[in-house]
Amino acid sequence: MSMIDAPREIIMGMPRARAVSLTRWAIILAAAAALEIYGRFFADPAFIRPVSAIVGAWFNPVMSDERIFWALSMAVFEIAVAYALSIVFGAAIGISIGVSNFARASFLPIVLLLYAIPQVTLMPLFILIFGLGAAGKIAFGFTHGIFPIIVNVVAGMRDINPLHRSAIASMGGARADLLRHVIAPNMAPAFFTGLRLSMTLTMLGVILAELYVSTGGIGYFTRLYAENFNPAPLFALIGTLALIAVLFNSLVRVAERRLTPGARAPAKLGLSGAKSK
Amino acid sequence: MSEAATAIGAGATAAGLAPAISIRGVTQRFGAVGAAQGVLALDDISLDIAPGEFVCLLGPSGCGKSTLLNIIGGLFKPTSGEVTVAGKRVDGAPRPDEIAFVFQESTLFPWYTIIENFRIALKFQGVPKSERDDLAMDALKAVGMGGFARHYPTQLSVGMRQRVNMARGICVRTNILLMDEPFAALDEQSRMVLGEDLSTLLAKTGKTIVFVTHSLAEAVFLSDRIVVMTARPGRVKTIVNVNERHPRAPDFMLEPRFGEMRNELFALLRDEIRRAMALQRDADGGGA
Amino acid sequence: MTGAFAQRSIQIAFLGVVGGAWWLLTSSHAVSPLFLPPPEAVYTAVSRLVVAAPFWSAVGVTLATIAKAYGIAVVAGVFAGWLVTRSKFWTEVFEPIIAGLFTIPITLFFPMFILFFGIGAGSKVAYGAVYGFFPIALNTIAGLGRADERYLRAARSMGASSLETFRHVLLPSAFPVLVTGLRVGFFICFASVLGGEALSSIAGVGRNIALAAELMDSARMYAWIVVVICFAVSLNFVMTSIENRATASEAARR
Repeated sequence: MSMIDAPREIIMGMPRARAVSLTRWAIILAAAAALEIYGRFFADPAFIRPVSAIVGAWFNPVMSDERIFWALSMAVFEIAVAYALSIVFGAAIGISIGVSNFARASFLPIVLLLYAIPQVTLMPLFILIFGLGAAGKIAFGFTHGIFPIIVNVVAGMRDINPLHRSAIASMGGARADLLRHVIAPNMAPAFFTGLRLSMTLTMLGVILAELYVSTGGIGYFTRLYAENFNPAPLFALIGTLALIAVLFNSLVRVAERRLTPGARAPAKLGLSGAKSK
Repeated sequence: MSEAATAIGAGATAAGLAPAISIRGVTQRFGAVGAAQGVLALDDISLDIAPGEFVCLLGPSGCGKSTLLNIIGGLFKPTSGEVTVAGKRVDGAPRPDEIAFVFQESTLFPWYTIIENFRIALKFQGVPKSERDDLAMDALKAVGMGGFARHYPTQLSVGMRQRVNMARGICVRTNILLMDEPFAALDEQSRMVLGEDLSTLLAKTGKTIVFVTHSLAEAVFLSDRIVVMTARPGRVKTIVNVNERHPRAPDFMLEPRFGEMRNELFALLRDEIRRAMALQRDADGGGA
Repeated sequence: MTGAFAQRSIQIAFLGVVGGAWWLLTSSHAVSPLFLPPPEAVYTAVSRLVVAAPFWSAVGVTLATIAKAYGIAVVAGVFAGWLVTRSKFWTEVFEPIIAGLFTIPITLFFPMFILFFGIGAGSKVAYGAVYGFFPIALNTIAGLGRADERYLRAARSMGASSLETFRHVLLPSAFPVLVTGLRVGFFICFASVLGGEALSSIAGVGRNIALAAELMDSARMYAWIVVVICFAVSLNFVMTSIENRATASEAARR
């Protein structure tokens, strides 16, 4: 029934999925074209420049000015370090909390309470304590990124199907086998959800701190360009950071697709399901 | 063996009545003609169903029995052919005045209480507000669920829920009831008890019923006629008559002819099920 | 029962340890009062802060900014979500664009808001509204799209009109997801406005925190932080329990 309920649809003479993604790209290109036309003929050049001018500004000064390149590299470095720290500490704390019902019931509320704090109010404090350099930005990214990992690791460790637990036991598996073959794969989807959220939040923390510190790094240049009404390099710089963000997000997604057990091949129902293993 | 009748519409013509439901040459194709992904689900089905008759559609998975039921109910428009209900053509639009549906799983809305669910159904039907509560309570009492009107569906067991679901289909006072594997989610025992209740209820109301099922015993126990369908494309393979008056008692299941009919149906279906499995395997193997 | 008691004790003990460590570190002069002023200094600063007129004017500016930003985000988010889900095709086209943009820290674009709207409240309203728009729109799409096909079919078979279907099927199934979106959207709006004020502005709570930091008036900065955190945490608690009631009653019925 399900097979004939969901027939392959044909839209605009092509399979549905292709029609959808073509339309999506058409909309994005149309938006860029609109910006180009508006920026070239109508806009006040102090606020908006056409796409071509932004691309020009990307080559010069964004990519050619060593100081900007250095600032961008530092931001990438800070995100990477803060993210790595979030994963290591988040997973360690999450596993310690998730290991028993008692520990979870005791400590999860504390974690959730801390998670609910609007961290942005602490930003001046971080910079005050850690100074204007990379340390404060990394620390601020880390405190943003760690919480989704903890919460999702804890969530992934609960709700283990007791049947799977008994299956391992009945097949003579040890405690390590339980961890390796039941708990870890069971936790994987939630863990990757945590990794994705954590990446977005780590970047948020680092970028916030970068923008806050206007005496150096990216914050210096964005302020410089915004105050001098020089939008082309500002857009180019922001666009580059957005691309870096997209790249980081894609890395997490690729890792997720590669490493999630059972998600590599699309699940097949029906009689031949076993052969897709 | 004498019950097996290949003549289509034998029941209706034998009774000499205008059919309640008339199906003429219904064909359903999914996807474009000749397209690699196209599927011929139903192929030229013709069938007449007499008023008050209980007809079962029986066949292997994917033979299009649910599709046929949806076409009769106007939820789907067939590729070709037509369905007439009470003299009017069903043209891909539901006819809530004539036809009520009971689906496979409980479709009671989980955000409303049982009684609210009944009120909504009656409201959709255009029943005046003052009559809704009485109709709802009558139907609930008829299935022995009068005490649960203020419960939410999830507070009931699966069996109770499906009982209420059935009552909702009955309370809307249509002449025709279409049931799509209403007992599929239940265990064997509950199925039999609910089936017995259904038989009793229907003997009272005189509704025309089309019932889709996988269960051979259920089909024999409930139906006046069993339409056996082939694997994809779905065609009418044969029609088996069950000559037993409603309401039917559980004793009927103990009679030798019950077992004979069941075996006969199984023999008819076995080849079709094997064919359906092979089709499924080929589709999976080549489809990736 | 004893388990719950033990858990509660651990939680209270944790808060006690944090408070004790704070007191011990500051009273022993192990850390500079610039980084961590003693609790009593923060307490005095809070009590002095909340009676002064500038406090209330800053709070007024920030609350007004949040209200405007959130209002715009709700109207735009729900409307966009509703519009996109009118057809399955447009849902599939737009949902990944909105979701994809939301994985990029919108904060990146903050300098553009300053460029377009200036340093006043306008840039914070726009920035908060844009940031809050995403979770609200995404949850509206998810909520309206998650209605179970079975229920829609049942409603159709019973002869429900499209308005009746929206009222009795689509809206009740969307409700819990929608409420979550509205809550998350609010807190993102809230944090964005405060962050925007701290980054670049002339007034408001966020500006005052940043100002206290620039002047190295730590006690005052901590006082502001304490006030904001207490406000945010209790608001979060209230909103979450409202939402839990909404979703729990649904979960109980599922």
